[in-house]
Amino acid sequence: MSEKSGRAIPRPSVYVDTAPFWQAAARGKLVLQYCKDTGRFQHYPRPVSIYTGSRNLEWREVSGKGEIYAYTVVRVPGPGLEGRLPLLVVTIQLDEGVRIIGNVLGAEPEELAIGRRVELTWDQLGEDVQYPAFRLV
Amino acid sequence: MKTDIVIAGYAETPIQYKSGRSAYDLAGEAMAALLEATGVDARDIDGLSVTAPLSESPNPFFAVYMTEALGLEPTWLNYGGNGGCSATGGVARAASAIRDGHCEVALVLSADAPSTAWRSNYGAYRSEFQDPPGVQGPPASFGLLMSRYRHQYGLKTEALGKIAITQREHALHNENAYQKFRTPITMTDYENSRVIADPLRLLDCVMFCDGANAFLVTTERRAKDMGLTRMVYPTAFAEVTNFAGRESLADITQTGFSVVAPKVYKQSGLTPKDIRMFHPYDDFTIAVMMCFEEFGFCKRGQGADFTLDTDISFRGSLPLNTGGGQISAGQPGLASGGLNLAEAVRQMFGDGGARQVENPRNALVTGIGVIPYARNWSVSAAMILEA
Repeated sequence: MSEKSGRAIPRPSVYVDTAPFWQAAARGKLVLQYCKDTGRFQHYPRPVSIYTGSRNLEWREVSGKGEIYAYTVVRVPGPGLEGRLPLLVVTIQLDEGVRIIGNVLGAEPEELAIGRRVELTWDQLGEDVQYPAFRLV
Repeated sequence: MKTDIVIAGYAETPIQYKSGRSAYDLAGEAMAALLEATGVDARDIDGLSVTAPLSESPNPFFAVYMTEALGLEPTWLNYGGNGGCSATGGVARAASAIRDGHCEVALVLSADAPSTAWRSNYGAYRSEFQDPPGVQGPPASFGLLMSRYRHQYGLKTEALGKIAITQREHALHNENAYQKFRTPITMTDYENSRVIADPLRLLDCVMFCDGANAFLVTTERRAKDMGLTRMVYPTAFAEVTNFAGRESLADITQTGFSVVAPKVYKQSGLTPKDIRMFHPYDDFTIAVMMCFEEFGFCKRGQGADFTLDTDISFRGSLPLNTGGGQISAGQPGLASGGLNLAEAVRQMFGDGGARQVENPRNALVTGIGVIPYARNWSVSAAMILEA
C-alpha cells in the first residue's frame, strides 16, 4: 500500500525518542506523552513537558476516543497524497484532554462535523508500520 | 507621541513568479533602489537585519554572506527567523540596537525567491506527526482553523470574498504586483474558485513568488543630517511567539494578536478608531478578518459583518492592504512581512499614486509567522507608524 500511495514511512525518533509511540502503534495501541508533574498529556512529543519544562515524562496509553474539534478536506495533490484525495483531515480532541491531527477513514466529506464522536483505527503505512487514524462512531 | 527613531526610506522590487533569480540578487536590487531613493552612501550603513529566506535556508551564514554580497560592514547584525514578522521585527530590533549604540543607520532587508528555489526543510516533528495525516502546508492548517471559526461564529463567504476582491482592485494600481494578478475578480470568480482545503478557496490564498524589500532605520537627527525629509515614526511594536503553546486545549480562534494589540495601542496612545489604514499580514483572507476582531475594529466573531459594513478600499474609512497585499501582489516568500510594511510607508510618504490614501497620518501593520501543529499561527507582531 505504501508503494502504491507513495507515502513515506516515517523514521522514528527524528526529533525526540518516539520509539514507544511506534512500538505501541505496531500493537494497535495509541500512547502519548504524559507529564507526571501536572497529570496532563501533550502531543506532538517534546523533549520536555510544555507545562513545566521538566523531563518528568512518560508514555501512557489513551483511549483513542474523542470528538472532532476542527476538520478540513484536502482536495489538491501533494507529495504522499496520491490516491488519498479527497483526504479527510481532522483535529481530534481526545477524551484525555489533548488534541491530535489525523485522518478520518471510511467516511464521506459530508459526514464530518465538529463535535462528532470518533474512535481509534489504524492506517497501514507499511508491513509493520501503522499510524493512528479515526473513524466516526 | 513621537520617538527618536524613524524609517527614513523604503524600496521594493517588483514581485515575480519563478524569476530565476536569487535572494541575494533581489536584495541587491532592493538595496540599490533604497540608496538611490534616499541618496544615502552605502558606507554609512552600519547595521543590517536580514530575514531568513526559504530559498537559502540551508546556509546558516546567510546573513553574513549577505553582508559580503552587498559590500556592507555592519557593527550590528540581526538574522530574523520569525517568518512574516521579520520585517517589522527587524525594524523594532534595529531601533533597540540604535538606542543601545550598536549602530546608527540600519538596513532592514528581506529577500526570498521560493518560487525559483525552495530549499527549506522544517525537520523536527513534521515527518513523524504532521506529514502522515497529509498536513503538508498552511492550506490544510487554515482549512482546520476556518472550520473551527465557522463552528463558533459562523462564516460569511461574501465577507472573505470582499477582502479578496478589494485587495485585487488595489493590486491593479500597484505596478510592483505580480503581473498575472493585475486583473479584476468578481464575487462569482471568488465563489467559483477551487476549494483547496474546505472551506478554503484558491482565491483566499497567497501564492509563493520572488521579491525583496528594504527599509532604512535611523535616528530622526541622523536622518535630517543626511538631508532626508521623508520619514515615519514607528511609535509602537509588540510581538509574541508560540502563543498558547503551553496549552493543549486552546481556543484556536484566539491568536497572539490578542496579546499584541493592546500593547501597541497602549504604546502609541491610539485606539482602533484612530487607525487611518490597516496593512495586516494576509496569507489567507480569514487571517485578515480575524485581525479586524483582534485589533478591536469589531468584536470577536463580528469580523464578517464589519468587513461587509466597512469601506475597506483605499478611498474608504479603513483602507486595507492598499497595494493588493500578499494575496493579490504575490507573496515574496518570507520577505512577505515587508510587503505590507512597504505599502504602509509608501502611503505615508505620499507615493501611493493612483491608490493614494488621503491624509495617511498613521498605519497599523501586522505580521504572522510559522504555522504550528493544530493551532493557528506561532508568531504575531504588530507595528504602528505615525507621521
